[in-house]
Amino acid sequence: MLKRHFLKAAACAAFFLGASLSAHAEDILAKAKAAGTLKVGTETAFAPFDFIDAGTHSGLNVDLFAEIGKELGVKIEWVTLPWEGVLPGLEAGKFDVVAGPATITKARMERYRFTSPIAEATVAILKKAGAPISKPEDIAGKAVGVGKATAQLAQLTEFSATLPTKVDIREYPAFNDAYADMAAGRIVAVANSLPNIAFVAKQRAGMFEVVQPPFGKKTYFGYVGRKDADYAPLMDAIDAALIKMKGDGRMAKLQDKWFGTKFDTPDIVKEPAI
Amino acid sequence: MMFDPNVILRHMPEIMSGTAVTLALWITGMLLGVILGFIIATLRRYGSPLLDVPLGLIVEVLRGTPFLIQIFLVYYGGPFIGISLDPIPCGLLGLSIYAAAYYSEIFRAGYQAVPHGHFEAAECLGLSRLQIIRRILLPEMALIVLPPSVNLAVILLKESAVLSIITVPELTTTVSAIGSQEYAFLEAIFLLALIYWFIVEAAARLGRAAEARLSTYRFAAP
Amino acid sequence: MTFKLFNLLVQASVWTIGISAISIVIGFILALGLSAALLSARKLYRRPAEFFISFFRGVPLLVQLLLIYNLLPFIGLNVPSIVAAIVGMSLCTAAYQAENLRGGFESVPKGFIEAADMAGLSPRQIFMRIKAPIALRLTFPALVNEAIMILKSSSLVSVVGIVEITRMAQDLASSTYMPIEIFSSAAIIYLAICWIVAMTGKYVERSLPGAVK
Repeated sequence: MLKRHFLKAAACAAFFLGASLSAHAEDILAKAKAAGTLKVGTETAFAPFDFIDAGTHSGLNVDLFAEIGKELGVKIEWVTLPWEGVLPGLEAGKFDVVAGPATITKARMERYRFTSPIAEATVAILKKAGAPISKPEDIAGKAVGVGKATAQLAQLTEFSATLPTKVDIREYPAFNDAYADMAAGRIVAVANSLPNIAFVAKQRAGMFEVVQPPFGKKTYFGYVGRKDADYAPLMDAIDAALIKMKGDGRMAKLQDKWFGTKFDTPDIVKEPAI
Repeated sequence: MMFDPNVILRHMPEIMSGTAVTLALWITGMLLGVILGFIIATLRRYGSPLLDVPLGLIVEVLRGTPFLIQIFLVYYGGPFIGISLDPIPCGLLGLSIYAAAYYSEIFRAGYQAVPHGHFEAAECLGLSRLQIIRRILLPEMALIVLPPSVNLAVILLKESAVLSIITVPELTTTVSAIGSQEYAFLEAIFLLALIYWFIVEAAARLGRAAEARLSTYRFAAP
Repeated sequence: MTFKLFNLLVQASVWTIGISAISIVIGFILALGLSAALLSARKLYRRPAEFFISFFRGVPLLVQLLLIYNLLPFIGLNVPSIVAAIVGMSLCTAAYQAENLRGGFESVPKGFIEAADMAGLSPRQIFMRIKAPIALRLTFPALVNEAIMILKSSSLVSVVGIVEITRMAQDLASSTYMPIEIFSSAAIIYLAICWIVAMTGKYVERSLPGAVK
């Protein structure tokens, strides 16, 4: 009896294996169009790109991907994971592209293909209102929060090494947790990209303040996809859609809606600063 | 998937320190949990009934809610009522209290399981109250509470992985950080599974050995 | 803490309850097979079952979920979040339930089986009429306990992308900065669910044949 079950299970497994292997050979854009949906992975704790606003997933990414979906003729299906699980999920084929977005870096470009940038990602400091920090260098020796497995963490670590006393860097699963911990008083500042902290400072006026100028090198945010050949048509199509939106002003309008300001972004980043 | 053992070798010091933090939190949390749990069970049995009701309620709340929610409440809620703990003390406190709730139930069952006749027999023999506790109650209870205690210990070790969510630098935190840093996601998860599995098996074997040893006293001559 | 936020948590609890319930049922079915293998005289059946149980009881559910979600695609099974969550929880609870069932089957008094044998019942009849009912009756309280454990463990499935009570609470807490109110509400919802399961379990247990009244 057990043996029969085992054979049945093995047959099922073989069927699924075959089915999904043959699916892999197809190009991802054609597959998404055939299914009518594009799967997009992201985390929902990265305001104003993705966040939960009273229970609803909203932000720049939701709006931008709605437009990309129109251009590509597909519906967008969101898969939300903790940030740590997002890039592994992309590699495991859980979704077709990552909205994140992620800072475009040299190391990541070796492994992933970035879309045309959607915003500036230069890192700056968000401090608790009233904390004795007037320039980025003042964070020396203080407890500063940052997201785990992020480019912002790498930049903060690098900056910390240039200071007379090192920064007490605390890593959080999501930037939201770091903001919450700053509100709770365990840390005095959070290092994150300018568009993010500008948004948070506006939302929590009187609670948090942005410390100018940014300390990081000038970087950009892009969406992340795979380098494999079967992903190329999809990535090309998303690039074309984004560049089109930069041209017709839709991008600027959305940036203004979510950041309260517009960023000049190049069509493509070939040589990232970090 | 390519499994690159060099990734593991390169990060050996971090993996060791993560394992050490997990083991330290687990063992300390367990010890504090046993002590606190014993106190709760004893107060509920021998203390005033006025204590039994609130203690019972607290135990039920702790047993009826996920550990993760308790940890979130202490870690993110604590500062709003003036208790701002760093991740490690917060994790240790959370783990100990969670453990205490379950241990108190184990001890309660232990108290109930010692037959009344044994006390009467001891009293007839003229043993003092302290002697009865030391010679009759505790040894008999130990036999009863050991197997569920070992089970609980294993559960606590696994629950301690949850502490990674509040950034305690324990095993899960360190190994998954290495995974993302090196883009070796699967290797990291595999390694985690293996390390936990190894510790759990070792603990379970130790527990069984202790049970076997203790059970030889079951019918020992006085 | 507004009614709207509380309502969102209650809505998210549908996921908690749904995933837990499905996992308990699948886990129970798997556990029946596993416990049979455990009690088998043949090592060929016993060893794999022991290995399975040792692994799923030895590795934290958090790690198991990540493993299932990220590893299965590499062997060609690209399952969506909900399937990964259910598979992970089912396998985990199957390991625990199998141990319970094994204990139950082992505590069926030998005399009953001998008596049934003498009365001329076939091995199949002995299993269906004697062993299985007694073992299930004996392990029922453990099954209820396990259901409560699984309900609580489901707080971890957010790592594979399911927005259940805990994840919703986390999202709401970080957007409203009211962690105490939100996490306490989440705790109350869990308590209510666990309490209902425990009470239903007690009620069913009392109505089972052979109950101590």
